[in-house]
Amino acid sequence: MNNVLWIVRRSLRATFRKKSSWIVYFGLPVAGILLSMLVYGSSSGGDLKIGVINQDGDRALTQDAIRFVEGLNNVKVTMTDEASLKKDIASGKLDSGLVFEPGFADSVREGHPAHLNLVSAKGAEVTSYVKSMLDSYIGNVASIGLATKDDPQAFESIYADYKQAGFKLDARSLEDTSKVKDMTNQTIGFLLMFLLFSAVNMTELIIKEREDRTFLRLLSSPVSARAYVFANVLCTLVIQLLQIVVTLLLMKNVFHIDSGIPFGEMLGTLLLFSLTSIGLSLLLTAFAKNSKNAGALQNLVITPTCLLAGCFFPAEIMPDTVRKIANFLPQRWMLDTIAKLQDGQSFGSLALNLVVLIAFATAFTLVAIYRFSRNNDVRQFI
Amino acid sequence: MNVLEIRNLTKKFGDFIAVDNMNLSVREGEIFGFLGANGAGKSTTINMISSLLRITKGEIELLGRNIVKESKFAKMNIGIVPQDLAIYEEMSAYENVSFFAGLYGLRGSLLKERTVEALDFVGLGDKHKALPKSFSGGMKRRLNIACAIAHRPKLIIMDEPTVGIDPQSRNYILNSVRMLNRMGCSIIYTSHYMEEVEEICTRIAIVDHGKIIAEGTKEQLKSIITDTKEIWIGVKKEDALDLEALKRISGIISVRLEEQTIKIVSKAEINNLNWIIQQLIKDQVEISSVEEQAPNLETVFLTLTGRNLRD
Repeated sequence: MNNVLWIVRRSLRATFRKKSSWIVYFGLPVAGILLSMLVYGSSSGGDLKIGVINQDGDRALTQDAIRFVEGLNNVKVTMTDEASLKKDIASGKLDSGLVFEPGFADSVREGHPAHLNLVSAKGAEVTSYVKSMLDSYIGNVASIGLATKDDPQAFESIYADYKQAGFKLDARSLEDTSKVKDMTNQTIGFLLMFLLFSAVNMTELIIKEREDRTFLRLLSSPVSARAYVFANVLCTLVIQLLQIVVTLLLMKNVFHIDSGIPFGEMLGTLLLFSLTSIGLSLLLTAFAKNSKNAGALQNLVITPTCLLAGCFFPAEIMPDTVRKIANFLPQRWMLDTIAKLQDGQSFGSLALNLVVLIAFATAFTLVAIYRFSRNNDVRQFI
Repeated sequence: MNVLEIRNLTKKFGDFIAVDNMNLSVREGEIFGFLGANGAGKSTTINMISSLLRITKGEIELLGRNIVKESKFAKMNIGIVPQDLAIYEEMSAYENVSFFAGLYGLRGSLLKERTVEALDFVGLGDKHKALPKSFSGGMKRRLNIACAIAHRPKLIIMDEPTVGIDPQSRNYILNSVRMLNRMGCSIIYTSHYMEEVEEICTRIAIVDHGKIIAEGTKEQLKSIITDTKEIWIGVKKEDALDLEALKRISGIISVRLEEQTIKIVSKAEINNLNWIIQQLIKDQVEISSVEEQAPNLETVFLTLTGRNLRD
């Protein structure tokens, strides 16, 4: 064991002596966090900016409807014209536009609301709130209109009472955790990729040491091949532990991204993935004939599988077939575990996910051991 | 007493027999030359002695103890100077020696002392902070040696330690080998430079096709080939030289051309110089010198294996 620690110490010193290692092991995960914040941070918070075009003149019902929209929480109304509306929506100055076409007031009075258009370039995410509130308001006025169809006086009277009473709306803001969850998932997605790369980088050292013959000197000393591989695995695990801890601490304390998962649970889950990544890297090492070969295999395996598993963007937007394929990837199971923990499921109830991750780690390692033991090419290094 | 005893050693790779029932012993305090052309089986033998390769059959004893059963003891008492440099380029000379010495259990002040001692021994004491990438080829070779001796092994195996270095570094290394030997280390030395082996080795074994074909002191080996002689003929304008015709001359064992010198090994009892010169005149080759060489290891090797050591 002394020799194992001696080798680990050397590897860690040699690794962290290089400036590039700091960038690769810690800089890239931070870049991952920043990228996630950039992607998800831009679409969060702020008032909903709505441009209104009134083509229905000074009709009281139309004016009241506009005032109603102005009175909604988190909505900022700007009166505009058709040309400006399109331009401002396209440039992002406005989130959506509300067009009161000629005849709007009459259609409401008659009980069949029409001539109202809601336009947006961002889809239901920004229109649904205004639409549902406006539907409710106009629906009520239209109902009054329908009930008092032939009696304008009755309409005016009931409508005046309705306006005075209004309706009591008690609005409370709830914290929107969905974006933070997405941001966490994406950050973890990037971290998973960097964990895979760091695992492969470290085990590639085994191949490199074979090539430059230090492996030969190591094995001619009282160090067994098993102890040597174990030392490399341990070294990788230490580096990955540091990567995970630093990333999680930065996420929480510097970037204020609350994953919604207790630190210990997150750390434990990610360490489990570390074992899987080490298993995978041993497998790649076992199949690689030289360091160039290992580098090519690494690029061939890691980036595409991370893409399929949803490390770079949510898996939900991918086709069904791709999602089914992703079920055969450890990254998918890891992200699924994180998502379930965020949904409030306990660690204990995620036995299947955890078992699958352990199974991946075990399977990769066993195949690597089998391959190592059968690989006659080892002779070329001696 | 024998430091190393090899009995009936065999190594097979599939159907290929790399080492074939080899028997060999290295005595305490000797510098043992291990000669063989590429692929003769010397590296395989060295790798088995260093526990890097599994033995197919036979046994190896180091200081009377079986190296398979007592692998740790064997490894603790052997120092390897591999043919290819086995050092970390990104670590200083001191860190390299200290790291490898640490694998033998040295720690603390003893580790520091032995590291400094090894670096001083190879003449790199003043360069201990420098990275190997700033070293010349000879300095790297010396660092390669320092990494193998800091734990003070009883047996040091040096596999071509002077390949590709300048004469000054080569002399330094050869003197270091002698000094290590005087300090009580037994040394197995392999080299393609026959003159080095002849200069420093006390006993020599020649290996060919996985077998020891001759073993003994330089004098003993040379005495094996008293029935042959070597004639060197300096030539100019050798374009039309017909080596095959020379080989057909009675008594000639081998002929080779090296940098305008025809080196001929011939049976000693046959006087064929007249025929050789006649053939050269016939080939219109201009002769600049003719001399008969005293037998040396090169001749011995060539005679026994039919190959040049550098083949």
